[in-house]
Amino acid sequence: MTRIIDFHTHLDERWLHVKCDSAADMVRTLDRFEVEAACVFTIMGFYEPCPAHNDALLRRADQYPDRLIPFATVDPKQGRAAADELERCLANPRFRGVKFHPWLQAFAASMLRDTMLDVLQIAARHRVPVLLHDGTPPYSTTYQVANLARWSPETTIVLGHAGSADYVDAAAQLMRDIPNLYGCYCGPRAGDLRRLLDLAGPEKILFGSDFGAAGWRLLPERIDNVLEAGLTDQQLELILAGNAARLLKLDERPLAQPLLPHREEAR
Amino acid sequence: MSRAASIIDAHAMLGEETYLSLTASELLRRMDAAGVSTALARPLGAGLIVDNRAGNDLVLSAGPRIRGLVSANPWWGDRGLAELDRCREVGAVGMFLDPLRQGFFPTEPAPVPFYERAQQYDWPIVFRTGAYVFADVLAVVEVARRFPTIQFVAGFGGFADMWFEIADAIGSVPNLHLDASLLWSDGIEEIIKRFGAQRVLFGSAEPRNRYAAALRTLDRLELSTAEQEAIFHGNATRIFHLEPLR
Ligand SMILES: [Zn+2]
Repeated sequence: MTRIIDFHTHLDERWLHVKCDSAADMVRTLDRFEVEAACVFTIMGFYEPCPAHNDALLRRADQYPDRLIPFATVDPKQGRAAADELERCLANPRFRGVKFHPWLQAFAASMLRDTMLDVLQIAARHRVPVLLHDGTPPYSTTYQVANLARWSPETTIVLGHAGSADYVDAAAQLMRDIPNLYGCYCGPRAGDLRRLLDLAGPEKILFGSDFGAAGWRLLPERIDNVLEAGLTDQQLELILAGNAARLLKLDERPLAQPLLPHREEAR
Repeated sequence: MSRAASIIDAHAMLGEETYLSLTASELLRRMDAAGVSTALARPLGAGLIVDNRAGNDLVLSAGPRIRGLVSANPWWGDRGLAELDRCREVGAVGMFLDPLRQGFFPTEPAPVPFYERAQQYDWPIVFRTGAYVFADVLAVVEVARRFPTIQFVAGFGGFADMWFEIADAIGSVPNLHLDASLLWSDGIEEIIKRFGAQRVLFGSAEPRNRYAAALRTLDRLELSTAEQEAIFHGNATRIFHLEPLR
């Protein structure tokens, strides 16, 4: 089996009234399914002021700096403050990406074009990818998200669900046609992955599970969706880890080693 | 891991649609590899949306281990109803409707004669659910309220973003059941815990999904033997009036 990096997970105390797994729980699940690292996003930060949630996410992720890779989020409805908050977060090299959930964060990017352009430019300057939830009207259709990649060709944009349930064919075409647009294969199934591969190629697809938003079983479910698609070893390596390592610049900037060994206590 | 002795797949698809493609012989090969005894298949693409006769013939001629869930686009009106009559003569076990692809609201007048025909034939209706506007699972709940003697199945279980509606939808009427093919395991488990395993059917969503993935999703729920028997074959046998296991 190839190495695995999970490009789409959530690490928070709760989702509304539902309690979520802790960082230790999450790392235990990663260990169990031999996933070496995971990009972690907030959940409640999509509903509430972002700065406190960015700080809380960083604190949780910092318990496992060699395994958990935090992505910051900002609220573009705040205008200049959103750009400032992103600069504040990305000044810390622990943040390796930006996450938006326009549906839950309640914004149409087209109504906040100037702020979104600022934010996308900041991400480009820091050379970090921007992942956005896609597949859901009215603020997060796959076309809306792909448009951001056309607005800012310097920014790496990742469709958070590669089309999700209803936009896979559109996602595959857009990922093929827009050089800086990638797709996180998180939700679609093996038959959909074949289409993404045929049109966009294996270098444009990154594995993600969304676990943390639901329980541990989501991780092996979503690994199965990759493994059951009949891919070559080379395609598997790119989709499960290689593309993520490249976008996260893991060669250039390896993940920090923990100050103390934690694997044992986590078990 | 052990599974029920017999597995009925309540939602497979035959034909071609955009990038999906599956023939009866390939479905049979996949069923054999997965230990699935029977699959209920419905047409894809043009055979579902406009050329219903061709789509229905595809699923009705694939037997005996593949049983036909037939469809007629409600906008065909009387011609569609005549097609359903024809399908009944050649062994269809239920109706499949895709309000997204076929372009209708489940609650508008056009499909009502089709629901009445299903009622007359004692056919269950499998609806595609999950896409916004047309395939809203709550619209299917409204139809289920109006036709309490018809058994309905929420095809794809509201995949993707109606996962937060699906459990309450199943709970709000007694005659709506879950096709577990594309829902994540926490969502399936919630429905089993709140409303019982008799409300859940194993489905594969082949060729979009794969048998191995759909089966392992249910295996991870560590179901009791009785729950497995219900989900893997008992409920489908009851709802679709299939011949009981020998
Ligand atoms: Zn997510």
